[in-house]
Amino acid sequence: MAIDTRESVSAEHSGHTAPPVRPTRRRPGWLGPHLGRALVGAVGGYAFGHWIGNVIGSGYINVQGSGQNDVAIVLGLSIGVVGWLAGAGMLDYPLAKIAGREPLPPAPSKSWTRYLGPALDHKVIGLQYTVVVLLFFFTGGLLAMAIRTELLNPTSHVFGPGTYISVVSEHGTIMMMMASSIVIGPLGNWLVPLMIGSRRMAFPRVESFSLWIFAAGYLVILAALPLGGFPTGWTGYAPLQTQATGGMDAYLVGFAVIGIGMICAGFNLLATIINYRAPGMTWSRVPIFVWSVLATAALLTLATPTLVAAGLFGVLDRTAQTAFFVNEHGGSSYLWENLFWFFGHPEVYIMALPGFGIVAEIFPVFTRKPLFGYRIAAAGMIGVALLSFFVWQHHIFQSGINPDMRPLFMLTTELISIPTGFIFLNTMGTLWKAKIRYEVPMLFALAMGFNFLIGGISGVFLSDVPVNVTVHGSFFVLAHFHYTIMGGLVFAFFGGLYYWLPKMTGKMMDRRLGKWHFWAMFIFFNLTFLPLFLVGLLGQPRRVFEYAQNLQTLNDVSSVSAFFLGASFLIFVFNFVKSIFLEPKPAPPNPWNSLGLEWQTPTPVPAYNFARIPVVLADPYHYGTSDGQAVADLGPRTLSLAGVVAPAAGALDAQAVTGEEGSADPRPPIA
Amino acid sequence: MTTEPVAGSEFIAHEAPTLRETSEEIEYEMRSAEGAMWTGGRLVIGIGAFFFGSLAFAYFYLRSSNNEDLWRPNHITAPTGIGAAVFAFVVASALLYGYGTTRLRAGNTLDWEVTGWVTVLGGFTALGLQVWEFTQLSFFPGSSGYASCFIAWGVMNTALILGGLYWLETLLARWLRLRRAVLDDGGPARSTMPVARLFRANLEGCWYFWGFIAFVNLVFWVLFYVI
Ligand code: HEM
Ligand SMILES: [Cu+2]
Repeated sequence: MAIDTRESVSAEHSGHTAPPVRPTRRRPGWLGPHLGRALVGAVGGYAFGHWIGNVIGSGYINVQGSGQNDVAIVLGLSIGVVGWLAGAGMLDYPLAKIAGREPLPPAPSKSWTRYLGPALDHKVIGLQYTVVVLLFFFTGGLLAMAIRTELLNPTSHVFGPGTYISVVSEHGTIMMMMASSIVIGPLGNWLVPLMIGSRRMAFPRVESFSLWIFAAGYLVILAALPLGGFPTGWTGYAPLQTQATGGMDAYLVGFAVIGIGMICAGFNLLATIINYRAPGMTWSRVPIFVWSVLATAALLTLATPTLVAAGLFGVLDRTAQTAFFVNEHGGSSYLWENLFWFFGHPEVYIMALPGFGIVAEIFPVFTRKPLFGYRIAAAGMIGVALLSFFVWQHHIFQSGINPDMRPLFMLTTELISIPTGFIFLNTMGTLWKAKIRYEVPMLFALAMGFNFLIGGISGVFLSDVPVNVTVHGSFFVLAHFHYTIMGGLVFAFFGGLYYWLPKMTGKMMDRRLGKWHFWAMFIFFNLTFLPLFLVGLLGQPRRVFEYAQNLQTLNDVSSVSAFFLGASFLIFVFNFVKSIFLEPKPAPPNPWNSLGLEWQTPTPVPAYNFARIPVVLADPYHYGTSDGQAVADLGPRTLSLAGVVAPAAGALDAQAVTGEEGSADPRPPIA
Repeated sequence: MTTEPVAGSEFIAHEAPTLRETSEEIEYEMRSAEGAMWTGGRLVIGIGAFFFGSLAFAYFYLRSSNNEDLWRPNHITAPTGIGAAVFAFVVASALLYGYGTTRLRAGNTLDWEVTGWVTVLGGFTALGLQVWEFTQLSFFPGSSGYASCFIAWGVMNTALILGGLYWLETLLARWLRLRRAVLDDGGPARSTMPVARLFRANLEGCWYFWGFIAFVNLVFWVLFYVI
């Protein structure tokens, strides 16, 4: 732990002589916080928690002789997460604070090993998030291949029904966890400070914590499989939830753990966007991607606590034997359904808005036109975020809610498609009469528009109660949300990666391979999921491993396409490895010739982002109008901050902020 | 891919080895940091509101469903004495702390230190009582909807009070280390030292949070013991 030298420096400022600085205890690198230590902590924590759980649980009647002790599993997983966090060094700072210390971060490291440990630079954390998110994505993808393999034939089987539903549940849960962070984690963290002209995040330690706990969630949800899997799908419906075996505990703990990470990520981004905008970065100049992150972060921060609470109730039901979701004991299984979807629908927009943000950011660059209806798009995002709290009952139209409630929620749901539609039209309006440069990011962004149109319109069908009665629980719903999430968000994410990776890594991705990846992904995505609308309309239920004989052709088209869709990501991986590591081609600082502030920085972006705090002069979308006008004054200063800030008496003098020990800087660390 | 230069890029040709900030930049970021404290403090309350709001939702949902007539058979109630004591300790601690904070603003640090540490003590007492109450229940956790909600309340309130205590204790401990320097610089209410400014912002957030703790305890005290 770094020593605290704040007092001495503060004393210096008030004229005292500083007491001598104690030498830091240096520990060898491999003992410090890093991934390996985190893994050891996780395993040790699990073993310890499991043991305590056995001690406690052995007195329970329901545990004795049942061969299953949920107390041990829950404690094992929870303490395992704590061990993981401790191993990653996430507890050092909070514990030091108990003693009144606020240890300074270690000097930023230039070695690649900084990616394996706790980081405070939002750009390092963003890349760490990218890796973890892709880990989630590819794991979930392999499970999807398993699902489609089983569905190749209506009656002869690869898996038994129990294994099949476990695979489906694991796939869905991993993917939903991934989708809630796929843009916010990698791109939100990496880009937001650069886009708003800030040198730092508001709470970099909270940001780092969100990453490590997100990674812990991966291990927890993976643990569901060796614990026997769970049969509920990603929605975890009770009463099945209460009856299920050990894997269910991993689902509940895992979602709560991921939820805590989502709250932390949103919290930090909100505080950053609200407070750390550069002078001149008024709300009407904030890039539209940042607006989408702002709306998403608000949803992450405020909707997710409900998921955590619901997870706690579920865990209590399964360990302390409460009866929240047990009708026979005064609980109600609908309580879970309501709590889950109260979170779940805002979650749906957590999985939509950042995608819109990316697309709206990419279109102006490749059409050289200003973003059409910027204000409406920003307002639409906030509107969608607010409305998303009032529509959740459309998921439980068929679950026995009071039928008189349905028209109300049908109305609110159709209402929310209005701002959604506006955002969509904004992006499309940008294309109007444009000369489009068909670069890889632009292709992905265009495909997002195409796919989301299908996904969104099928959603409006679903919100219509009579239609919902016929297709609820069928593959139609499944096709709907794959079109919005995979077709929308994931396409946008890959577009964003191709667009921003040159800045993030300093290397250009191969354009030809990128196009191959795009066309393969686009064609096979549609071939995989369009037939699923049909089989849904023809009555094939979700989450069932058998289906009617006459649906085999459509299913096989879907399955075979799914394998090609899966393979298309190998092109991406190959491109990534080749372009970044094997034959790196250095990227120019601004390869797409964008006006965005993030592109005005050197590559690689220095730890502190901007040599001078930029003074923002215009929004980044005035393409083709006043060419040559700078979006920001980046220094050496031609404009001073004067008028924006008047230095207060006693403010620190100009000093080197290197993050080294002994610095008096109490502000959040840069790196 | 194009290589035509973009407006503004000429300014970023060089990369300085270390960042040298001007005093106005430092001031600008100090204000951002103070603002972030403010925002963060309010957001924590927002997060808590949705967390406890979910419990309140569960309470009213199960109460109105009253499945199998098992919302609250025979109007069972958790031990009222202990419940009232938890409530009283929490509210008294929060009020006391609020008083201490106003004293600090008036420049009286000793009052704040004393009330602060007493609040920590009061919070720990409430915490101990809340946990002890679990051993004194006359009902089984799964015996009714009320019982289930009550168990969750006990767990969640323990976490809430622990959070408040952590926040307050870190502030008090921090103060012990900053004390001398800040007092020499005009005292905690007036010092312009960055650490003092951030300390004030933090203090403010913590005070609001204790207000929130008291509010939550009031609401659920009414729900579980009064009605
Ligand atoms: C135009 C806007 C949208 C409307 C009107 C809409 C409407 C609906 C309705 C009514 C359902 C319930 C179907 C049922 O189970 O019977 C549903 C399910 C769903 N939608 Fe949407 N939706 C929209 C956009 C989105 C977006 C943008 C996403 C995600 C990015 C999304 C993701 C989902 C998911 C994940 C489910 C159900 C999941 C499940 O049951 O497992 N939707 N949608
Ligand atoms: Cu919904």
